[in-house]
Amino acid sequence: MLDLADVSTYYGNIRALRGISLTVAAGEIVTLIGTNGAGKTTTLRTILGTVRPHRGTVSFNGHRLDTLTTNRIVRLGIAQSPEGRRIFPRMTVLENLELGAFVRPDREAIAPDLERVFTLFPRLRERSAQKGGTLSGGEQQMLAIGRALMARPALLLLDEPSMGLSPILVDTIFRIVEDINRQGTTILLVEQNARMALRVAHRGYVIQTGRIVLHDAAAALLRSDLVRKTYLGEK
Amino acid sequence: MTVNARRALGWAAVVAALIVYPFVDRVLGFQTVHAVSDGMIYVLLALGLNIVVGYAGLLDLGYAAFFAIGAYSMGLLNSPVLGSPLYGYPWSFWVCIWIAAVVSALLGVAIGAPTLRVRGDYLAIITLGFGEIIPVAIRNLGDVTIEIGSWRPIERLNLTGGENGVNPVGRPQLPGVPFETDPVPWYFLILVIGALSLWAMNRLRDSRLGRAWMAIREDETAADCTGVNPISTKLLAFALGASFSGFAGSVYAAKLQAITPGAFEFQVSIMLLCMVVLGGAGSLKGVILGGMLITLFDRVVLTQTTFMVRALGRTIGVPALATADLTLWRWFFFGLGLVLVMLLRPEGLAGRRLRPAPVADEAEDILDVVRAPRVDGVPEWLRERAQDGVAAAPAILDVRSVTKRFGGVVALNEVDLVVPRGAIIGLIGPNGAGKTTFFNVVTGLVRPDGGHITFNGVGLVGLRPNAIVARGIARTFQSIRLFQNMTVLENALVGEHCRLTATVPGAVLRPPAVIAEETRARARARELLTFVGLGGKENELARNLPYGDQRRLEIARALATEPRLLLLDEPSAGMNPREAQTLTELIGLLRRELALSVLLIEHHMEVVMGISDRITVLDYGTRIAEGTPAAIQRDSRVIEAYLGTGYEQDLAG
Repeated sequence: MLDLADVSTYYGNIRALRGISLTVAAGEIVTLIGTNGAGKTTTLRTILGTVRPHRGTVSFNGHRLDTLTTNRIVRLGIAQSPEGRRIFPRMTVLENLELGAFVRPDREAIAPDLERVFTLFPRLRERSAQKGGTLSGGEQQMLAIGRALMARPALLLLDEPSMGLSPILVDTIFRIVEDINRQGTTILLVEQNARMALRVAHRGYVIQTGRIVLHDAAAALLRSDLVRKTYLGEK
Repeated sequence: MTVNARRALGWAAVVAALIVYPFVDRVLGFQTVHAVSDGMIYVLLALGLNIVVGYAGLLDLGYAAFFAIGAYSMGLLNSPVLGSPLYGYPWSFWVCIWIAAVVSALLGVAIGAPTLRVRGDYLAIITLGFGEIIPVAIRNLGDVTIEIGSWRPIERLNLTGGENGVNPVGRPQLPGVPFETDPVPWYFLILVIGALSLWAMNRLRDSRLGRAWMAIREDETAADCTGVNPISTKLLAFALGASFSGFAGSVYAAKLQAITPGAFEFQVSIMLLCMVVLGGAGSLKGVILGGMLITLFDRVVLTQTTFMVRALGRTIGVPALATADLTLWRWFFFGLGLVLVMLLRPEGLAGRRLRPAPVADEAEDILDVVRAPRVDGVPEWLRERAQDGVAAAPAILDVRSVTKRFGGVVALNEVDLVVPRGAIIGLIGPNGAGKTTFFNVVTGLVRPDGGHITFNGVGLVGLRPNAIVARGIARTFQSIRLFQNMTVLENALVGEHCRLTATVPGAVLRPPAVIAEETRARARARELLTFVGLGGKENELARNLPYGDQRRLEIARALATEPRLLLLDEPSAGMNPREAQTLTELIGLLRRELALSVLLIEHHMEVVMGISDRITVLDYGTRIAEGTPAAIQRDSRVIEAYLGTGYEQDLAG
């Protein structure tokens, strides 16, 4: 479904990605784990076209993405819940969610999807008339994910969805990620919480300083020495 | 040749060129000295505006008002027509220039004061208003009559010369120097004033005051919470920015020998702003470049080109060219130039180019990136500070029944929380429970609707955030709020702001005490950066740091304020377990070695359960539990509202 082949991305003259190859098949949850600054967010940006790869190709269902503008890419069925939330602070929760469905032609299916988001996140229903900017950090995170879901994407990119969430919500979020996936959405999940990410994912990639250093089935990665030491904090 | 020697040589060449230039000009008959002198006056104005716009980040669209005030101060005190009737005789130029600067500075404060609470668009609109008011007032003060009943205390007083302006304005007197007939003495006079101003500004920029301006520009709230008083800092920027235009205005008036209100219209403010933006806001070199380019383009290039175009038109017989006047197109060219610069070099001609975050170097071992804090790395001066805190009360922070409502939502409902001296207290709760609001109330960002907050036995409610920092409470932010376009070292130095004492004269003249203070501050900042693991990155821009380093820098900046109580808002958010471990060690170390008390909002249970002495749990603004970590983990209400059941696996893992 999604295929990155030997992608290198530069910021100025600094190479952030050094020949990344990565695939996500339809129906999968694939996780990308790595430390801060390893290139996880850059990978997502490259997929969405907010930065351009210098070398290599990004393709999605046979379309080359690396020449398209971001809004064209989104129309192909990719949505993102960005790191740092990036919600619209001066619009209400409801308006934020409705904007998530901006690119969809099927107007009548939006209401049930809104209901689905409110069922997944009851807190958002409670606050639907509040301005996005007045939500707490964790609530904004829910809103960002909810907004991405409203686009009913074929591929959902999640950038650190568990960041800043209470333990019970981290559980909930990952359960929701699994639910969304079961309902047919393919997911590329970028996470610091490697343990939870690898538990819900089918396959995982480990990225270090702009390179994929390891990829395997998620269960196998959970057992690997490198992952256990560096990303799970085990001695 | 060493870098220093090369630099000295470069400066010598610049000085020599500046001194030789007017004589070369005379020999070659270019007659550009007038234009260049005027250019330098505009550069001086642009430099003053740069303090307000470039350093403090306050968009001022009415800066020409200060130019007018400077010019009219000179005009009124030094003119034989207007000054004499009021003061008996025209005052000396050399006295008036200082008075003009002081008057402008005072007016800067007066104009700045009502704008303190506004930023961005609103500030721009208000300054625009002032920029319009001043020329109008000047036009209408040429014929003032005050009439109370039949009593006329003031009758037909000419205060400003009205539409006709002031003419003539007296020139400077200096034995043997022909200011009346020769442009060269003017050139040198303005050069000296400009050089002195530049020197002063350069020193101000590298002082605690310059850093405070930039901190305000980058993030006013964060600056306030780091101990910078936004009100006095902004007023100082307005006052100093205006005082430089007082100098420029008074020299301009005396050089031109006449002033009219028309010379200080809105276009002048915009042109000055163009100079700053074109050259690069915040860069002295850039502003000089921008000012000179625009003035010379206007005064020399446009007129000369017009001359040539007309000559060309006559030769080839095209009447449209023969009568063309390119100077009428000056705003077209300014506009075009500005658009091009903004598209091609948005940071200005000489602005600091922003580099994106580099990825950790290939050779660097991934495990080395996360350096564990070391006991012997704890800066000695912080240890010394730790001994200062005499135990006045057993609790360092005592919060009693604090309530905060936002509209109908009760964000905090009668919350009690005590931080014993030297303790680490965890504050947890579901998202939106009011934890960050609690921090905002304690740090003075939000005023509580009820309750008491006592720190070291003294009430805090009603104090501004920077005053609370000065008393010894520092914080970090959930979403990192560094001063993005300042270096790592500068960020830490802003933290020390409230412990430093240099004033404007101190910052400019640099007496030994100020030099010693600044040297010590830098040494301390470096030690602190090394301690948190940012050694060697002092000169990187904060925005270019990877995420984990930004978190560490925020902690270093908070420590630089020499706190007794540290409020950390989700410090391990976005960190992997290994980094979180390092952070836990760092917090423990701070408590152990520095007797620092810590209040910690955290969602990583392995962090908060591991180091907290006691934990308070908030839900919907209400305290639902308080106790030891072990007790909290068993509390059924906490499990239901917050922990869930999955966390045990995380802790066990």
